[in-house]
Amino acid sequence: MRLILGIDVGSTTCKYVLTNQEGQVLDKAYERHNTKQAEKVLEFLRSLEEKGFTPGRDRVYITGSGGGFIGELIGARFVQEVVAVSTAVERLHPEVRFVSEIGGEDMKTVFIKEQEGKKNRQVFMQNVCAGGTGTFIEKCARKLGISSERLSQMGYEGYTLHRVSAKCGIFAEADVNSLVKAGVPTEEIMASLFEAVVYQNLAQLTKGNTPLPKVLLLGGPNLFFKGLQEAWRYHLRRLWKERGVGDFSREQIEDLVIVPENSLFYAALGCVFTALEEEGGLYVGKERLRWWVEEGQHEQKLKEGKAGLVSSADELQSFKRSYSYVVQNKVVPKRASRVVIGCDFGSTTAKAVCIDEEKNIVFSCYSLSKGNPIEDAKDLFRQIREYLGDGEVLSLGVTGYGKDLLKDVLGADVAIVETVAHATAGLHFFPDADCICDVGGVDVKIMLLRQGSVVDFRLNSQCSSGNGAFLQGVAERFGIPLSELADRAFSAKAMPNFTMGCGVFLQSDIVNQQRKGWQAEEILAGLCYVLPLNVWVYAGNINNLSQVGKKFILQGGTHRNLAVVKAQIDFIKSKVPDAEIYVHPYSGEAGAIGAALVALEHHQKHKRTRFRGFEAVEGLTYRATTSKETVCHWCPVNCQRSFIDVYLGEGKGRPWSKVPLQEGWVRLIVNNACPKGLVEDESELKAIKEQMERVKNEFPNISYFVQKEAFRTRQKVH
Amino acid sequence: MPKFLNLWGTHQFWVGFFNALGVGKIVFSSDTSEEQYRAYGKGRITMDSCFPVKALAGHMGELLYKDINLLFVPMIYSLPSFLRGHVMDTLSCTRVMMAVENIKAGFLKEGDEFAKSGIKLAVPFVPFAEPHILPKHLWEGLFPAMPDLTLEETKRAVEEGFKALEEFEKRIRQKSLEIIKWCVKNHKPALLVLARPYHMDPGIGHDIDAEFQPYGFPVLWYNYLPLEDWLLNWLFERDLRAGLIKSPLDISDVWTSSYSSNTNEIVWGAKFASKLPWITGVIRLSSYECGMDQPTFTPVQKIVESSGTLFFKFGELDETKPAGSVKIRVETIVYYLEKYSEEIIERKLKRLGSIPKELLD
Repeated sequence: MRLILGIDVGSTTCKYVLTNQEGQVLDKAYERHNTKQAEKVLEFLRSLEEKGFTPGRDRVYITGSGGGFIGELIGARFVQEVVAVSTAVERLHPEVRFVSEIGGEDMKTVFIKEQEGKKNRQVFMQNVCAGGTGTFIEKCARKLGISSERLSQMGYEGYTLHRVSAKCGIFAEADVNSLVKAGVPTEEIMASLFEAVVYQNLAQLTKGNTPLPKVLLLGGPNLFFKGLQEAWRYHLRRLWKERGVGDFSREQIEDLVIVPENSLFYAALGCVFTALEEEGGLYVGKERLRWWVEEGQHEQKLKEGKAGLVSSADELQSFKRSYSYVVQNKVVPKRASRVVIGCDFGSTTAKAVCIDEEKNIVFSCYSLSKGNPIEDAKDLFRQIREYLGDGEVLSLGVTGYGKDLLKDVLGADVAIVETVAHATAGLHFFPDADCICDVGGVDVKIMLLRQGSVVDFRLNSQCSSGNGAFLQGVAERFGIPLSELADRAFSAKAMPNFTMGCGVFLQSDIVNQQRKGWQAEEILAGLCYVLPLNVWVYAGNINNLSQVGKKFILQGGTHRNLAVVKAQIDFIKSKVPDAEIYVHPYSGEAGAIGAALVALEHHQKHKRTRFRGFEAVEGLTYRATTSKETVCHWCPVNCQRSFIDVYLGEGKGRPWSKVPLQEGWVRLIVNNACPKGLVEDESELKAIKEQMERVKNEFPNISYFVQKEAFRTRQKVH
Repeated sequence: MPKFLNLWGTHQFWVGFFNALGVGKIVFSSDTSEEQYRAYGKGRITMDSCFPVKALAGHMGELLYKDINLLFVPMIYSLPSFLRGHVMDTLSCTRVMMAVENIKAGFLKEGDEFAKSGIKLAVPFVPFAEPHILPKHLWEGLFPAMPDLTLEETKRAVEEGFKALEEFEKRIRQKSLEIIKWCVKNHKPALLVLARPYHMDPGIGHDIDAEFQPYGFPVLWYNYLPLEDWLLNWLFERDLRAGLIKSPLDISDVWTSSYSSNTNEIVWGAKFASKLPWITGVIRLSSYECGMDQPTFTPVQKIVESSGTLFFKFGELDETKPAGSVKIRVETIVYYLEKYSEEIIERKLKRLGSIPKELLD
């Protein structure tokens, strides 16, 4: 008897089915490969040979992202993934017209149409963005602390749904965060996530086609998550009713939308079915694969790679001597009786520093953001009060989120934009700096300075390429804690070459490099090495670094990673040989320090402060609203914002608002993903525009006259 | 007539011209907008990375739905410029000129859409810099659509057109002078925009300059600066005496290949900004991948900054307004303008002779 083996080497798992010549399944397996695809296949083959799978007699067909090269080593014939899945579907379920397969890092839909007795398939795939895939669901669930057992049992129907953007993993995470902050139960959040995934599949991967019954759901997430199946059934039932396909009962839907028993193995089964139709794919044994796992991959690897981040222990030591301060540099509190306070309200943390009149930093504190700047501010000022005792506050400066309103709420003397805060702090420590490069968790900011001003800056928060979260995510997947990341990267003697570009492509490149046998630390080193390129060229769009200047300041959380700092220094020096590169000593506090320095200037000029005092800040009353009425409608992301209304005894209120505000109250809008969301809605825009019109007459603009008069078709009679 | 590219800058010429010809009604398309571009321009855009060029498709498409019988889209080869006689030439960007042919093709691809809408198309070649041959080209372009038109009539209409444009420009330059006088009187700064004329179109320049008004900064544009002799002589006195330039409108000291009309005016605007004390900040606008702007970036920046005047660039402008980053940038720029303006005015005043009395009344 000749056996047939079908193997599917995916991005996260390996699967196989073993059948006889009739296509009857004799054995199957589904296992995570932890990025060691070749090793896992070798392991499979070892145990299969023990069970009687014989070289020279039996046949093997292979599919999946890692299938091509492994196949060559074992004599397998390669079948393209989509072809494999469709083949299996058509054979096992001739009545199916639509297939959704959701994988770990991709999702596909297949429309099967019958025309004149011939079937044709239309396939849509999305693998450029993590949104809507299994990884996306698992990541959010992990964040919410939901175990995988519980996740698989969580439902969809009957829960209140909230807007979660499935379009992009980054936006989705922000949405989930704000739902958590708003106190939405985890069940509702997960139900909303399932909703988002199905919505995303239907919106992005149907391209105007209507999925028709029967429908087949394949892949891990569709099989494992009960809630996802429920969401599919709910949406398809509604869609079919709307489009006149049919009005089906719940029971009927169960039969029309099916999750088959072998849901995970369809690609592998497709291989087998292909094999049944033809000859070929004679199994040559596992020897060459074993050789490749044990030796070949290392040889290939060395040919392609480059030397590590540091070439000698001496180099590493001397580098660490000059830069290791960046890892742990904390402000040591010093007594002071007269201080200037600077606050930086960020989206994840709020920070404050106190400086004395000689610009020494005497105190710093922070508060993890609770999504409500008033609470954050109260927390900060409690800590400052405890430190300061009966000392005097000379002046207060704020920057960051909602700075203009917080200025009134707290009685700050200055409210400055983040760029100015960072530049002021940077220039204080490193006068004449030409450039500040801030790489944070989710964004890249590059500020170009001339004549003591920020003349240009690049901000990239839409793309994960080049930011720290990406690196951190990869390390997490390898099980390497953040604190060890740098040392592990330094330990690599060689590293793979990564191409600059989109984070998602980098992700698949990582899988590819792992396949060649590169180890975790080598890959991390390679990623650190390519990061500067992504920061400057890809995210920052700066191709000519020498035009930027000579004196560079590196700051932001990602530059606490010494391996990144090393890569940055080498990169900058390769472009600007005489560059001076500094890492900001108080990287995390730079914004607050800048605010304090500007506030100090204000004090020196005016000698008075509007600060309301600790008592007043503590006593601020506010109410928060998070509801349908506070959702932002400026773009399809539909952020669930919150309105924080504070009583100040001044201010005109917002009588026109959907959430009306009486006189004496002011409103802060939070949890918006972009600055547009700071404007409540059309009514506020109108109010703002009217105000603008008045000011514009006072401070005229020549283009306004031209716009108004240049296209008048009748000439003025003088 | 589509309100596109170099129509900004020649607008009133056309109004004067067609009124003189006794055309019943002149209809302009609306300002460029995303809606217009999507609704009317879709599927008609040929390969071009220049958004101001691509936007023309939206304008022409929109006009197909208007009550018109002649669509007039001039292919402007050279421009009227106040710098004529002081520069090598005043040509239009070739890509801008050819935009008309380029976009027109999109409407002929699947059948003649102009004919379908009962509209005649006139696409004349327009050499503004050569007024003596201008009437002939316009007449040749219009004749097929307006068979009664004579060359004589066209000649007269061209004269009327120039007159209308001159009057309009004079009026706007007067407004600029009023703004400057207001600055002098109140000791306040103003901003100057350096761009291409069509960046005044809210859909192309995205009204970025208007964002500064609420902060108390009046805005001047480089192409409508006052040209009074007493003012220019005051500003350029030193350079004239040193023999660096032959006249206040001479840019050969900083820009030798002065062929492009818009570029010449931008460079002169930069020089003006570096001299006039009350212009403390310059805002440079540039569209995505503008080949004409590329070589001017560094020289223009250097000219402006040589006097300590602040210089900020909004480059790579495209179809959509990057609202978020514009807001942060504007706030950043405003901070430095507020911080340094007073100092800049003082410093620049010191380099000049005493303020002319005309500025003080």
